[in-house]
Amino acid sequence: MANATIPEAPAAEERFDRVAATTCGYCGVGCRLETRAIDGRIVSIGPLDGPANHGHTCLKGRFAHGFSRSPDRLRTPLIREDGELRPASWEEALGRIVAELERVKAAHGPDAIAGLASSRATNEDCYAMQRLIRAAVGTNNIDNCSRVCHSPTSFALRRSFGLSGATGSFDDIDHAEVGVLMGVNPTQGHPVVGARIKQAALRGCKLITIDPRRIELADYGEIHLAPRPGTNAAVALGLCHVVRREGLVDEAFVAERTEGYEAVEELLEGYDPAAVEEIAGIPAADLEAAARLYGEAASGSLLWGLGVTEHMYGSEVVQLLCNLAMMTGKVGKPGSALLPLRGQNNVQGSSDMGALPDTYTAYRSVEDEEVAATFEAAWGAPLSRRKGKTIPQMFDAAVAGDLKAMYIFGEDVAQTDPDTAHVIAAMESLEFLVCQEIFLNETTKYADVVLPASAFLEKEGTFINAERRFQAVEPAIDPPGEARTDFEIIGEVSRRLGHETGWETPWDALDEIARLTPHYAGVSRERLGSQGLQWPVRPDGTDSPTLYDTTFDRPGGRGHFAPLPYKAPGDAPDDEFPLVLVTGRILQHYNAGTMTRRTANAELVDRDVLEVHPVDAARLWIGDGDRVSVRSRVGRIEVEAKVTDRIEPGHVFTTFHFPETRTNLLVGQSADVNTSCPEYKVIAVDVRPISEQPSFVPVLADGD
Amino acid sequence: MSRVTVDGTAVEVAPGATILEAAEAAGHWVPTVCFDQRQAPFGACRVCMVAVAGSPKPLPACTTPCRDGMEIETEEATARRVSRAVVELVLSELPEPPAPHTELARVAARLGVTGSRWTGAVHAREDDLRHPYLALRHELCISCGRCVRACDEVQGAFALTATGRGFDANIAAGLDAGFEDSTCVSCGACADTCPTDAISEISLVAQLERS
Repeated sequence: MANATIPEAPAAEERFDRVAATTCGYCGVGCRLETRAIDGRIVSIGPLDGPANHGHTCLKGRFAHGFSRSPDRLRTPLIREDGELRPASWEEALGRIVAELERVKAAHGPDAIAGLASSRATNEDCYAMQRLIRAAVGTNNIDNCSRVCHSPTSFALRRSFGLSGATGSFDDIDHAEVGVLMGVNPTQGHPVVGARIKQAALRGCKLITIDPRRIELADYGEIHLAPRPGTNAAVALGLCHVVRREGLVDEAFVAERTEGYEAVEELLEGYDPAAVEEIAGIPAADLEAAARLYGEAASGSLLWGLGVTEHMYGSEVVQLLCNLAMMTGKVGKPGSALLPLRGQNNVQGSSDMGALPDTYTAYRSVEDEEVAATFEAAWGAPLSRRKGKTIPQMFDAAVAGDLKAMYIFGEDVAQTDPDTAHVIAAMESLEFLVCQEIFLNETTKYADVVLPASAFLEKEGTFINAERRFQAVEPAIDPPGEARTDFEIIGEVSRRLGHETGWETPWDALDEIARLTPHYAGVSRERLGSQGLQWPVRPDGTDSPTLYDTTFDRPGGRGHFAPLPYKAPGDAPDDEFPLVLVTGRILQHYNAGTMTRRTANAELVDRDVLEVHPVDAARLWIGDGDRVSVRSRVGRIEVEAKVTDRIEPGHVFTTFHFPETRTNLLVGQSADVNTSCPEYKVIAVDVRPISEQPSFVPVLADGD
Repeated sequence: MSRVTVDGTAVEVAPGATILEAAEAAGHWVPTVCFDQRQAPFGACRVCMVAVAGSPKPLPACTTPCRDGMEIETEEATARRVSRAVVELVLSELPEPPAPHTELARVAARLGVTGSRWTGAVHAREDDLRHPYLALRHELCISCGRCVRACDEVQGAFALTATGRGFDANIAAGLDAGFEDSTCVSCGACADTCPTDAISEISLVAQLERS
């Protein structure tokens, strides 16, 4: 480059015509991102130095933006006519929605209508949706997809500590001597937190991983426990047993800060390591070592994910984890946090915003007269004091003929919810279904009206990440074609149903949320800045990185020990279904794959596979790459096998990212006893090879 | 805390703080190429040279810890001459000037380096475009090591390696098998830190070639 002239360096922005700072819409980590667009298309996304991501992001946040201009994006409203969806004007589509909802309401009452908000949407979208359903329709039949992932976490944290959110921040990982990961695979599901945990481990943080699969972080940890799916409660009780037996209980913390410990002490007698080994199949010595490591450490954080919650007793296991933290005094201190890794970007926020059948914002009951009266006054509409239906209850009611119309936005229930056949029966039973989506999907096949909405890259408002952090979302590009933002659409439907919100922008809704919710009182667009605000936020804008440093948020200020014994999961292997299937997700794809499948991520991974242990594979004559049949008590799918020792013998694992696999056909009706979160993690199955070469099919002995 | 002066400005810095951190605290610019605040200081490029009273030679700001009473000069003539010469040497190996938005181009511009006095061999074009998102253009690599450290220290994927020596020094993804056949998790931290676009987003390379 001899003597070559280097031009004056322009600012980086000059390459792009629109640059925005926003918050990632993939997963609950909440990375701060800079989006860069040219001619209305995103060409690049890079990380900003946010509190959760510290200048890093993953391949979804950084690269998987191409879906936003995919040719099959919905660009115009659609109306079903003679069984087919045809393009329609907004006027016609909205007119149809209003006419149908009014007809159903007049004929069957408001409780025959239900709405679903989306954990991918902004707080303001979700808040607008619950206001529409409550004030414009007049029912509490509003729920959101956190029902099927972290509702048990929310329930349990409220029971044990008082507030429905992580007790600390991701930064606690950097200060923890020990990290316990149960039923969570952060390097796949929450990649940036996964990377932070891995770096912490490389710096000396000792990891205990508890998962039926040998997750990647197990390779960086001290101890890996692989319990049988559905036995987390026994493991948690066993850890508590050993902590107590070895004298590692923080007696002062238990005495001064908690209640109910005596009942737990009695219960723990039955869970010595030998008993736990019997139930969970983990070596007693490993359980003891794990309990000592956590109990003896000066600081330790507990992280969990859907491997804990999506069980019949998921909400109880979370309470048991709270017990463990309280016994050792490891809550409310730097490095000692309980951090549920929330699945979708706004799982925390969609529930915080009251898109739930039993609560308004900040989990205040619809049965609470004072709260209901506050909202009635603010909205100028009479509000029901009766709890609404949860998502599974909505489907049951639809099949039973009690629920006639649904308005679903940003959720593909026919792909992601359990027992697909039942969900489809529910969709078919409805007289009227509205889907507000960015693509046609499995659920829109049953829709009467489909409205073209916006992706997170086109939205304005806020998300709340897994650290309870409100963060600003700014549009990187405009919605394509005639598509509109969810906030605009919901506001318009509300208006046409006769309920005027008076908001012009999502920021007006945020102001209303802050005004009507003491826990979010100090939240405002101006205060969010680049670092966001962790609720509770006081009126002066002071936020709360750590909860419970001096007192719990329960009556009397004490944490609650729940004496909950181990109970067997809803499904169990038997002679006909000898293997246990666990479902989950992988790094390259996000949930139903609606977005990631429409990007080059699909070049990296283009199918769901079934992980099978080599021992089982040999026994079943399954080779790597073979197509296999997977049959459960409720359904059957075909998928490609991958032979790996990441999984234990007797267990198999697959994902649900590709609609052609229809993994959720296999999942039955079993659900969490307190929150009806489905048991996606324990499904007894029968796996057999399907070979194009019949000679490879094993002869199944029938005795002769 | 130690008290130091940077170009006459007094600042207090935490124990262990580097001269680079002190300069930043004082609001004085120090050129860097191999430095990224998300990574541990590496001290490889020798562009961040500054003068310290009492030191016979310029010192690298990114790896030299502050001592109480240190007097630092960021624009001292010898130090600045070294910085410029290093940037010129780095540029001399590139087959084309770095794109204006790159960190290397911006540092060069700010140092007033408009070309290189040295002529000689330049890297031949060798582009690896196999990955759906990441372009690896070996000819633009200046062996600063930032991508390797991003992969190790930020992501923890350990997919990138420094290879070769001298003029042949470069980087390899997964022992040269390419990103996809390595432990790479496609996070793009390497592209984000690269000061020359040797690793960059395919979408931006295409954009560059169109414009």
